[in-house]
Amino acid sequence: MDFYAWMLALHLLAAFAIAAALVLYSVLVFNGRRTQSPDQRRLLFRIAPIGTPLIGGGSVLALILGVILAIDSDQFEIWNGWIIAAIVLWALMGAIGGRTGKYYTDVQKLAEEGGESAQQEVVARLRAPTGALLHLATVLVFLLILLDMIFKPGA
Amino acid sequence: MLASVRPHSIDLALFFHVAGAMILMGGLVTAAGAGIVGWRDPDNGLRRLAALTLFAVALPGWIIMRVAAEWVYSKEHLDKLKDDPTWITIGFITSEGGGLILLVALILGGIGVRKARGGGGAGLLKASTVLAAVLIAVYVVTVWAMGGKPS
Repeated sequence: MDFYAWMLALHLLAAFAIAAALVLYSVLVFNGRRTQSPDQRRLLFRIAPIGTPLIGGGSVLALILGVILAIDSDQFEIWNGWIIAAIVLWALMGAIGGRTGKYYTDVQKLAEEGGESAQQEVVARLRAPTGALLHLATVLVFLLILLDMIFKPGA
Repeated sequence: MLASVRPHSIDLALFFHVAGAMILMGGLVTAAGAGIVGWRDPDNGLRRLAALTLFAVALPGWIIMRVAAEWVYSKEHLDKLKDDPTWITIGFITSEGGGLILLVALILGGIGVRKARGGGGAGLLKASTVLAAVLIAVYVVTVWAMGGKPS
């Protein structure tokens, strides 16, 4: 395997790390809307940290390795439309994902406060469409990046 | 991802193959993560979530990945090759062998979830978690092989 093949393999693994985190968050968002007790919610919040290094490390590595691939490739240039589109979508995913993360981190902090009124607010926020829609938007942008990478429009 | 020029006719099949594999990997990471985080818990809450995630997420992901793999294989006329390249052989071995391990994990998890209603089943659910963790390692190697395509 040459340098390019190694970079491509690692780039793909980084993309899989992002995808794994998004699937994990999807499971948590889905189950979070159906939880009945504070104990069930605490269980879900204990799993959430697994996604942090996956989505953080995966996003940074996917971008860096993608840029290296574009520079190293004889077939593509970094200013090609589909590559610029991917970078723009990557930034958009980071922005929406960041807002999603903040929304659920705030809910987690509220859940840790305890108290009946705080728990009622936690349930209301977990069942409100805001967090789920933000997460759905993050997943959709990731799917757009995947489509862009595979179909390579204009290449 | 997949930054090489290939016939556009296989793009859709490849998209489903990769998307299925990503769902599979996500399901395995979630299941193994939940099982490991809840390993020492006295109740089966997280272990039960792990088993249900294998069934509701990882299994559909494996099916999409495997069906689309055959689609790509025939569309790219790889079935016409005299000998499969190493990366395809790795893909076949790990997808089918991994599918078998996933099936065992699902059976153990399914029985474990049933027994968990009566307060038991922890051992079976833990065994299911271990198999999910093994599958993550297997599929990391597979993704590396699919991306790097060693001859």
